[in-house]
Amino acid sequence: MVEAYVTGIGMIRVGRHFGEGLRSLAARAAFEALESSGSRDVDAVIVASTASYRGAAQLDLAGHIAGSLGLRGAQTLAVEAGDASGLAAVEAAWSMVKSGAASRVLVVGVDKLTDYVSSRVYRELQRLYEAELQALYDIGHAGLAGLLARLYMERYGVDRETLSYWPAMDHAHGKHNPYAMLQFAIDPKAVAKALTVAEPLTLLDSFPIGDGAAAIVIEGEPRGEALARVALALSAAGYPSLTMAEDPLKMDSAAVTAARMREVSGYTISDMDVVELGDPFTSIGVILAESLGLSQPGKAAVDAAEGRFTVGGEGPVVNASGGFKARGHPIGATGVYMVAEVAMQVSGSFPGLKVDGARRGVAVAASGDGSSTHLVLVEEVR
Amino acid sequence: MSMDLSVPETWRVRGPLYRLEAARCRACGRIHYPPLPACPYCGSRDLERVRLPERGILESFTILYSVPEGSRHKAPIVLGLVRLGAARVVAEITDVDPGDLKTGMEVEAVLRRIRSDREAGIIRYGIAFRPLLRGGGGGR
Ligand SMILES: [Zn+2]
Repeated sequence: MVEAYVTGIGMIRVGRHFGEGLRSLAARAAFEALESSGSRDVDAVIVASTASYRGAAQLDLAGHIAGSLGLRGAQTLAVEAGDASGLAAVEAAWSMVKSGAASRVLVVGVDKLTDYVSSRVYRELQRLYEAELQALYDIGHAGLAGLLARLYMERYGVDRETLSYWPAMDHAHGKHNPYAMLQFAIDPKAVAKALTVAEPLTLLDSFPIGDGAAAIVIEGEPRGEALARVALALSAAGYPSLTMAEDPLKMDSAAVTAARMREVSGYTISDMDVVELGDPFTSIGVILAESLGLSQPGKAAVDAAEGRFTVGGEGPVVNASGGFKARGHPIGATGVYMVAEVAMQVSGSFPGLKVDGARRGVAVAASGDGSSTHLVLVEEVR
Repeated sequence: MSMDLSVPETWRVRGPLYRLEAARCRACGRIHYPPLPACPYCGSRDLERVRLPERGILESFTILYSVPEGSRHKAPIVLGLVRLGAARVVAEITDVDPGDLKTGMEVEAVLRRIRSDREAGIIRYGIAFRPLLRGGGGGR
């Protein structure tokens, strides 16, 4: 059986890259990944982005990016799965390598959010949620997360300050990550006092708007040194809207994804050493963690407050990168960062907060309010 | 600046948008909103349109300050998660001082202007909810 290995990684720091467009951002990450993999040729280029779906953006993005990287002739494919696009692209690359359809695949995640005023970005990001009817309303990018936050606090009796430990954990980790957009710690007490975004959530509960690009090379028979093995990549569709979920505080797509990982690999998410988890908003982060089985219902923020998810805690270490909150969330690109970060942790080469002895981890994110969840399981190379 | 409000787009969803039309599955009996081509619970395509009740319970609410382009003048916007019988709806909450909002309160549906694009000459109406007046009289 062919295995799939990560043999090259390239990332640029998430931030406001006013001087660079999609092509230039993608090229910096892709060239670094190709150089570190020891070879310039690839069979296929898979691009994860949500930029193509926005007004005036490039269509056939994968063809244009591959061509602009000097990779004319490579097979190309663009992948879009909202907040989880980057993970979906790795899932596609993994399937191609495992099936033998390609032996060297370059996955590039790239997105650009800072070209427009924030109110326009909020309008675009609203389409991460059910768009045929719900997006006709002014739900913005944070409205549903705010509704879920209040429901969560009232149902479980979790107060605002306890919830604040989740983003504080992200920041405490992210301050060590040279690729993180926000490299500073925050006091949990500051979260509730920050500018309100969607009450009870504030600016310090929500991801910063930034540009980014990350790339990895996935290879069946490594020519050079392999950093990590992609053991499994899977996903599940959920309800198109939280209004349909039997319980809006349980993401069905995440629960199915975690159950399927256990069936196929024998592992639960608590068996991991590291977890990179998609938390665009504090409420979405804790609900995803609980839906995956990482914490009991109502307990994810409490677990974070007690230090369970940080180095020295019971583990797994969650968001050593800083998570969506501190590393940042350039929408379509983020999943590629997440897989790169887990691969670097299990190979001992992550340049930020290191999890010593980490042997396996997952990168997992849901899009919107759980329309789909995507998961990539990464293990050390033995 | 045009906000790309589209007339056909609004017309297609007029049932759920103006009349709270949901779908009831004839196989499992469950109701979902907005209506989909297949039941999200059991996968059956044997569905019928039903109207949701116009009164319900406010299960959660938020006061949104990160208001999207084209609606800045409405900021802040109150949004609610409303339980209407067997289904839930997310919509704007109107005619209320945010300080008076409480989860568990009764609300009723009213038709309101939800967005407008003056340049394109389009006004979009939709369902919003307002707290039910004490005594249950409803309309004014
Ligand atoms: Zn059914």
